[in-house]
Amino acid sequence: MSDTTIDTTVPVSGHIRRRLDNFLPALMLSACVILFWKAVIRAFRVSAFVLPAPSAIVVSLVENASALAIAAKATALEVLFGFVLSAVVGIAVALVIVRFERFGRALYPLIVLFQNVPKVALAPIFILWFGYDLAPKIVLIVVIAFFPVAIDMLAGLQSVEPAFVLLMRSVGASKGKIMLRVRIPHSLPHLMAGLKVAITFSVIGAIVGEFAGANQGLGYVIQFASTQLDTPLIFAALIVVSLLGLAFYYVVEFAERVFVPWAPKFDPIQSAG
Amino acid sequence: MNVGAMNSAVAKSVTRQTVGPAAAAALVHILVRGLAVDFIAQGRRQRALNDINLAVLKGSFVSLIGPSGCGKSTLLKVMAGLIIPSEGEVRVADISPQEAVKARLIGLVFQEATLLPWKNAIENAAFLLMTADAAMKRSEAMDRAAMMLRLVGLDDAENKMPSQLSGGMRQRVAIARALALEPEVLLMDEPFGALDAITREEMSECLLDIWERTQKTVVLVTHSIDEAVFLSREVHVMGTGPGRIIETLPIALTHPRTEDSYSDPAFTVAENRLRGLLIEGHKRVRR
Repeated sequence: MSDTTIDTTVPVSGHIRRRLDNFLPALMLSACVILFWKAVIRAFRVSAFVLPAPSAIVVSLVENASALAIAAKATALEVLFGFVLSAVVGIAVALVIVRFERFGRALYPLIVLFQNVPKVALAPIFILWFGYDLAPKIVLIVVIAFFPVAIDMLAGLQSVEPAFVLLMRSVGASKGKIMLRVRIPHSLPHLMAGLKVAITFSVIGAIVGEFAGANQGLGYVIQFASTQLDTPLIFAALIVVSLLGLAFYYVVEFAERVFVPWAPKFDPIQSAG
Repeated sequence: MNVGAMNSAVAKSVTRQTVGPAAAAALVHILVRGLAVDFIAQGRRQRALNDINLAVLKGSFVSLIGPSGCGKSTLLKVMAGLIIPSEGEVRVADISPQEAVKARLIGLVFQEATLLPWKNAIENAAFLLMTADAAMKRSEAMDRAAMMLRLVGLDDAENKMPSQLSGGMRQRVAIARALALEPEVLLMDEPFGALDAITREEMSECLLDIWERTQKTVVLVTHSIDEAVFLSREVHVMGTGPGRIIETLPIALTHPRTEDSYSDPAFTVAENRLRGLLIEGHKRVRR
């Protein structure tokens, strides 16, 4: 509570300092982990084939920079298309369930059931159906990532205060009007929470899709590197995947701040303490 | 003399057959006759309200008080046309509550302010009006909302977001939102129930001021004896099993009422009488 009020009053320089304060502990912890990593490799003489030293990974990153960049671009494209389509499908499913209640009652358990199918096992089938290119990856991502969007959007649509619905009804507002003016805007903070989960799922979906069969992308690089026993390249690709996921996540969070400024600010550390 | 019985007698005698519709409407603003409401709870039909008779005069301020589960909120929702009664008749300004809602005769305020977090105070105050009247120009609705915010004492908070307002201020916005409809009747369901004691008294005075200035008919559901006595001309005490009106108590406090009214002997008399009735009802339930 007090945090948000401070946020609006501190000057810009203070704001930047606060952000730095937020990142500094994470950077320091990362540095400690890397040092520990290096120490373990030195102490136990671990071969680069099992676990490469951080420096070897950096070298691999630099050497394969252009290949990794091309692969990252391919994966990013899959994530982007897959994520957008997941969002569209998730939102549509939620709206349909709320709007057509009877159909929703039939649909909902099927969706939950489907959610329990291991998606990894579906990847080969999608390759079989949709070929080797972008399409099977996008389908796989949608299948994995639409679920959190649909569930969170649904929760948002349904969690409007009953008193407000009464108030709308008291002035003769139709169901459609209540939906458009109250339920949908009210669901946006929930939707954004769902999208944040969906974007990380999308990255996972893209990599899984590439594992199942691909001729480009970071998942393909990882597989290729493992056949070559090039462990540093595997780790280098993993780092790029992580950074890609991080970047996508913050884009969604930025969108939340711009489009849903009234969303409750989520601070996992504070809310846990 | 049992005042409740007298009130019921008024309700029963005022029919559209005996008195002309216009005359009845001028005198009695809300009329409830032989009202019963049944709910289906766990597959069983349960009577929430039984044989409710009451007449609210135009421009009057009436409170419904009683223990939880006595159906006072249900009665209010029936008056607002949100619940269809199982038996009996309800008239607001001589038409059905549903028609009265369409004619925008009814304004509603609930315990929670239920403001839209993505709209500021003035947009919230204008929101229901714009929903009710799609043809109304936005600027006109905003003008009226601004006027109502002034009326509830929120002139300088127009552009604040709900998250920046205190509980009392939010409830003021909710009242302004109801008033913006320019209703003849204001139905309020424990509007100050979630506020602290001092804010509550402040809001009571604010409401009293609004009522004296606008001369609207107000029906207030409350748990607070103080609030009921301070604000009302008449208090209907309700009991449970099934919900019904036990007694109707006229409040003899003089108008205009101010902070000094709390120390008026008439206040204490009414307060004690109400407390007695509520305790009596409470004991009956336990037995």
